[in-house]
Amino acid sequence: MLTHYLSLAVKVLLRRKFFTFISLFGISFTLLVLTVVTALFDHTFGPDTTEPYQGRSLYVERAVMYGPHSTMSSSGGFKLFDRYARDLPGVERLSLYENGHTVHSYLDGRKISSKLKRTDDQFWKILTFTFLEGGPYGAADVAEARPVAVINARTRERFFGTGSAVGQTLEADGQRFHVSGVVEDVSEARTVPFAEIWVPYTTAKTDAYKREVIGDWNAVALARDTAAMPGIHEEFNSRLARVELPDPTHYQAIVAPFETKFQAFAREVNVGDRKDPESQVWQLVGWLSLLCLLFVLIPTVNLVNINISRIMERASEIGVRKAFGAPARTLVGQFLLENVLLTLLGALGGFLLSMLTLRMLERSGVFAYARFTLNPRVFAYGVTLAVLFGLVSGVYPAWRMSRLNPVDALKGGASR
Amino acid sequence: MTRHLLRLIWNRKRQNFLLTLEIFFSFLTVFGVVLFALHYANNARQPLGYQIERIWSLTVDRKESADDVAVKTRQRETYRQLLAALRELPRVEGVAAAFTGPYANSNWGGGMWLAGGRQIQHGVNRASDEFLELFHIPLVAGRWFSREDDAASWTPVVLNRRLAAAIFGAENPIGRIIDEERDPNDGPADPNDTPEVKRVIGVIDDFRQNGELSTAENYLFYRMRLDGPDPKAALPDRIFVRLEPGTPAAFEEALVKRAMAVATDWSFEVQPLETMRQDRLRQYAVPLLMVATIAAFLLLMVALGLTGVVWQGVTQRIREFGLRRAKGATMTNVRTQVLAEMVIMTSIALVAGVALVAQLPLLPLPAAMRVVPASVFLLSLGLSVAAIYLLTLACGWYPSRLATRVQPAEALHYE
Repeated sequence: MLTHYLSLAVKVLLRRKFFTFISLFGISFTLLVLTVVTALFDHTFGPDTTEPYQGRSLYVERAVMYGPHSTMSSSGGFKLFDRYARDLPGVERLSLYENGHTVHSYLDGRKISSKLKRTDDQFWKILTFTFLEGGPYGAADVAEARPVAVINARTRERFFGTGSAVGQTLEADGQRFHVSGVVEDVSEARTVPFAEIWVPYTTAKTDAYKREVIGDWNAVALARDTAAMPGIHEEFNSRLARVELPDPTHYQAIVAPFETKFQAFAREVNVGDRKDPESQVWQLVGWLSLLCLLFVLIPTVNLVNINISRIMERASEIGVRKAFGAPARTLVGQFLLENVLLTLLGALGGFLLSMLTLRMLERSGVFAYARFTLNPRVFAYGVTLAVLFGLVSGVYPAWRMSRLNPVDALKGGASR
Repeated sequence: MTRHLLRLIWNRKRQNFLLTLEIFFSFLTVFGVVLFALHYANNARQPLGYQIERIWSLTVDRKESADDVAVKTRQRETYRQLLAALRELPRVEGVAAAFTGPYANSNWGGGMWLAGGRQIQHGVNRASDEFLELFHIPLVAGRWFSREDDAASWTPVVLNRRLAAAIFGAENPIGRIIDEERDPNDGPADPNDTPEVKRVIGVIDDFRQNGELSTAENYLFYRMRLDGPDPKAALPDRIFVRLEPGTPAAFEEALVKRAMAVATDWSFEVQPLETMRQDRLRQYAVPLLMVATIAAFLLLMVALGLTGVVWQGVTQRIREFGLRRAKGATMTNVRTQVLAEMVIMTSIALVAGVALVAQLPLLPLPAAMRVVPASVFLLSLGLSVAAIYLLTLACGWYPSRLATRVQPAEALHYE
């Protein structure tokens, strides 16, 4: 029976090519936009080869100090983490790293701008980079402030051409570094690992950062397991209550919770109260869903309209089936099946188009070094969305169809 | 005639309701994009208030926060040496220092409570005495900061025309003291603090820090002084250098090397303002382009969908049209009927849409969201209404031609 319905559906789709084209165009375009947005989100927040332990990692990327009249929002300072985030129970490793800064080098009259990140040695253990040659710097390099650097493949090409770079030196921001290793390029969208040059934090020009509670630093804590994560969050929050703030007349408290990437994002886009250490993830999800719903509104109404037209055209066919005793349920099922089939076809088109769009985005350089992939996860999201879209846009027309009066339908008149 | 058409539409109310709903949402989409684009176009026509030719921006990272007075004094001395060293470089025409500048990503906002309870928000900057000349900022009245202000017991400020009008109305602001009172939300005054008395010494045409596409806003300049007696006075974050015509880009290396030789611990980021301007324009244009592209595809989808649905409706009503033709209606009559029905449905959708959109200016939105002038709002409304009529008429055009091709005899044959 199912094969019969399917072959019937294909025949119907081929009969009215214009309508089929409009439907497919609408579905493909809608799913194209949804898939591209999902892929961008997945690329930014999903697991990734450089961040395999993201599932049990917690980050502090934002510190907010506040008093009765003043609020200051920035990154945390080195002292904040060095003094209060060490030895948190449940933490396997802790890494401190500075925000990336653009540094300039002048090579044979050429200017080379790169993003430089100052990190500790634990950084290389929490994140897994793919080394093309050499290796990372270690605890001794950091402790003795040795001027060593890890660079990415693109930086190697810009400074040293095609040859090997390990053992050579490069100048950046007026300082000279020995290259200890070269890693594969990392996407700019992965804010934690991303940089083009990484150096030990102790090579900073001054040690003023060591005295700062608010500053330019981030921390990532690798939890022993996911169960330990809430405990880490709580413990650090309670330790923050004891922090000596730099300007106690204006600021009385600091909020800088350990949280997941997505929670941090919710805080960053300012959903809910910034002073609340508990991130309002559900609020953000709500807003995103609403936005998504608003976007899908026009395509859905459009598809419903076309579907109704399509049904009315088949009024006599439906009349015959009703007259021969087909129950409404069967007809509704048949029509929904047809519609889901059409949506899946559209989804296929949408996927092909998304791949093209994502390649174009990669080439446009909106995110440096980005490699967007439509992995199985994104594919699964897409198919779910497509089926949902097909069902929603098919239910109302199918219900209308099932209510057709067989006598009217047989005459082909169903204008009311 | 209209009443008759309305009855015909009512007879097919379910189908037509969905059509109207689709047109309604399309209108909202078009209006959003048109408003966004026209607002930018309107901003681009306003005077910018400065010129950036041959000016480079040097962002200074001092690496150490200057909360401590001793640190600040040391940094101030470094700044003095730095500015002197840059002025002595060949090819350098002029040097100025400021907290922020054109196309920079750092903004400083302030607010003042005027006596009488009026609150005014404005952008703030702090600039050195050379700033006006360096950027060729046109002065409307009064003067810019100079040595004359060294001994002043009050704080000299320069306003843009908009802020001067907001505070003093049509009166001459030069030499006037801004009559402020304490922010009622602030706690009791600190007895050691003497309230700052701002006196207006000059009015400039404008200073739209965020560039051509940004919204015009109130703006206030304080004086930036590196040799003043106050040890806590603020330090600049940016230095601006104007170069002789024909200076090559490679001069940047010499500039940075010289700066680093003076301030060994600091980092510098050099960018020609022209590059920063293009980045800024892109920041404004890219979201608009993305939204507009998506909206264009949505509209194309709607247009195809409407054509299909109207077409289907016409084929279904072939007997009705045949009957009209048999009773003597001309081809044009039938065609007008199809198009008129379309216009009526569009009008219903637009009335609902305009009624909804018209609530926007009536809502008690915060001042930051009330940036679109009424003329731009009305023009966008008019343009979007026209665009939607055009779209729906275009969609009705081909199906209405189909309707007129119906031969009466053939159509009535069905009955």
